[in-house]
Amino acid sequence: MAMIEVRNLRKSYGALEVLKDISFSVDKGEVVVVLGPSGSGKSTMLRCINLLEEFEGGEICVDGEAIGYCEDARGVRQRRKERENAKLREQVGMVFQSFNLFPHRTVLQNVMMGPLKVQRQSRQKIEPMARDLLRKVGLLDKADQYPARLSGGQQQRVGIARALAMQPKIMLFDEVTSALDPELVGEVLRVIRQLAQEGMTMIIVTHEIHFARDVGDRIIFMDGGLIVEEDAPATLLANPKSERLKLFLRRYQGDYLTE
Amino acid sequence: MLIGAVSALVGRFGRGLITAYIFVLRGIPVLVIMLLGYYMFPALGYRVPAYVAVATAHIVYVSAFVAEIVRSAINSVPMGQIAAARSLGMRHFGILREILLPQATRIAIPPLLNNSLTAIKQTSYVSVVGVWELTYAAREVVERTLASFQIFLGVMAIYFLICYPLSLFAGWCERRTTVIQ
Repeated sequence: MAMIEVRNLRKSYGALEVLKDISFSVDKGEVVVVLGPSGSGKSTMLRCINLLEEFEGGEICVDGEAIGYCEDARGVRQRRKERENAKLREQVGMVFQSFNLFPHRTVLQNVMMGPLKVQRQSRQKIEPMARDLLRKVGLLDKADQYPARLSGGQQQRVGIARALAMQPKIMLFDEVTSALDPELVGEVLRVIRQLAQEGMTMIIVTHEIHFARDVGDRIIFMDGGLIVEEDAPATLLANPKSERLKLFLRRYQGDYLTE
Repeated sequence: MLIGAVSALVGRFGRGLITAYIFVLRGIPVLVIMLLGYYMFPALGYRVPAYVAVATAHIVYVSAFVAEIVRSAINSVPMGQIAAARSLGMRHFGILREILLPQATRIAIPPLLNNSLTAIKQTSYVSVVGVWELTYAAREVVERTLASFQIFLGVMAIYFLICYPLSLFAGWCERRTTVIQ
């Protein structure tokens, strides 16, 4: 059964149409990697799934429930109440390119923020869970540090732990390694790979083509606000059908064409 | 502070009103505001003590500056912070309380201190409408004793004694809220 169902998603910034009729679905436990050149709309698409962006057309369902908008009795599209949307957002964890940790809170407090302030759980109950998550991302010893004391890779792993603390059904990764030094990329990808093995449903926007092939069950290639190609990584990367993808692969990772 | 917080958060129409409020008040010299406050209540048919009249005028005046400081402090918190909080399922009020205000406070402390010091010293203007305060009292003493320089030196010391602890307090607040960057 589809965990995420995107149907005819459209979005524009003023006259600029950034998403033109995007449709795809992600099954439970599936890892979908989204590739595409800058400005292809992949990050915007991801932000729509978490309702950080409004969208003008189409529908996004998470675990069977339409997010963001509903139709009233006359069939007019209306924005759902903030309370309902916040509730839906809880089920979707998001990790950002620029980490966006809360600088005025320690690592542990960052991880506990969601369960504590949104789910209103008790601190005694959450703290062991938060520490477990930090252990999982290998940062238990940094629990009482402030984010600024951490390296980029460490901050991003805290970002992942913070999103996981809400026990989301889906995780969205928005170019999470793009702001990192090359030698720090591995530690973040390792955590994501572990999540994939545990069966987490994920959409990963990335430029790491090697990683896409390793961890992805499917790759979606976007360009100009459209899905150009969509297939299993091995097939898609070895035999790109469209000129656009061929060019993209040649530019980013020439070796894939000669392999 | 409230006005500033509201202005950072409300929609375009509300912000327009508040901007106008701030724009007008900031363009008026404090002396004019004091006189305006003093003559406004009688003109509207209310009899209030002069002290209350000028205090009201002063509070309104200072509020415009504080509002602007608070608004800019809230706006200076990066957008990514809001996105992260929303992605956790937090809503307006929670985001304001847990994420925006703690970070905005730190940014706002130095300008708020500046503004408070100015406000304290501006109270000397109320002497023009005959409200008895430090500077006015000093002038009376000067008239009686004719030791103008010494008296005003003393007045200076008193203003300093009021303002200096405030500076220390703000410095302490700032250190306390400082985040390791």
